[in-house]
Amino acid sequence: MTKPFSRTRAARASRKNASTVDLLGSNSEIARKLKQYHDELLSLEVPERFAELLGKLEQAERARAPGETADGEVDR
Amino acid sequence: MGRQLMVEEASFKSDLLGAIPSLRAFAVSLTQNSDRADDLVQETLVKAWDKQGSFQPGTNLKAWLFTILRNEFYSQMRKRGREVQDSDGALTARLAIHPSQHGQLDLQDFRAALQLLPEDQREAIVLIGAAGFSYEEAAEICNCAVGTIKSRVSRARARLQETLKISGEADFGPDAIATQVMGSSVG
Repeated sequence: MTKPFSRTRAARASRKNASTVDLLGSNSEIARKLKQYHDELLSLEVPERFAELLGKLEQAERARAPGETADGEVDR
Repeated sequence: MGRQLMVEEASFKSDLLGAIPSLRAFAVSLTQNSDRADDLVQETLVKAWDKQGSFQPGTNLKAWLFTILRNEFYSQMRKRGREVQDSDGALTARLAIHPSQHGQLDLQDFRAALQLLPEDQREAIVLIGAAGFSYEEAAEICNCAVGTIKSRVSRARARLQETLKISGEADFGPDAIATQVMGSSVG
């Protein structure tokens, strides 16, 4: 389902050209507000539960199969 | 070897941790609700962890995670039987927000206007204008054509401008009123 982002490097490389065609208008009020809106969300404190969750996932995996990865086909 | 794997795992884990603020921001934009957003982020982290083997190191982890989060969001919506809104949010028409003072649009107005956008437009403008993805990346995340993302961004912008009365505000803003009042008191 999730395909690898193999083309993203190329995409990033070309970003300066075609992709910055600036539909938002980089200095428009909308563009500035979007940034502000996003910065505010980014500045929210991250609850502990996420770090705890990742810690548990890591432990579970080590306990289960040292030396093997889950092969990750948990498609819905 | 096991050891190599543990090193990779540790770095995957710390990369995931580092991505959490961005994931939460995107999840809030999609769900409009911070509890649901955090549940969505949690589900995304679990899925990402399980799919770890299908991530290609060196490619864009953030985009990969956003894709998982977005898929999860829409699959939850389908399960809830809620229809994904289509492109014409009738709500927008009902609500026009006037800039609070002197045409200065405050963040709360902006948030409200953003909420009124149809989902596909909102996610497009957030991915491009807030999360900082390229159009190509956003297209991959949303599994659609680059042109589709571009047109959604344009429509989103136009609709936000309309809702927020950004163009033409000089005609109706406080300055125009002040001028009138002053004019009449003098006259």
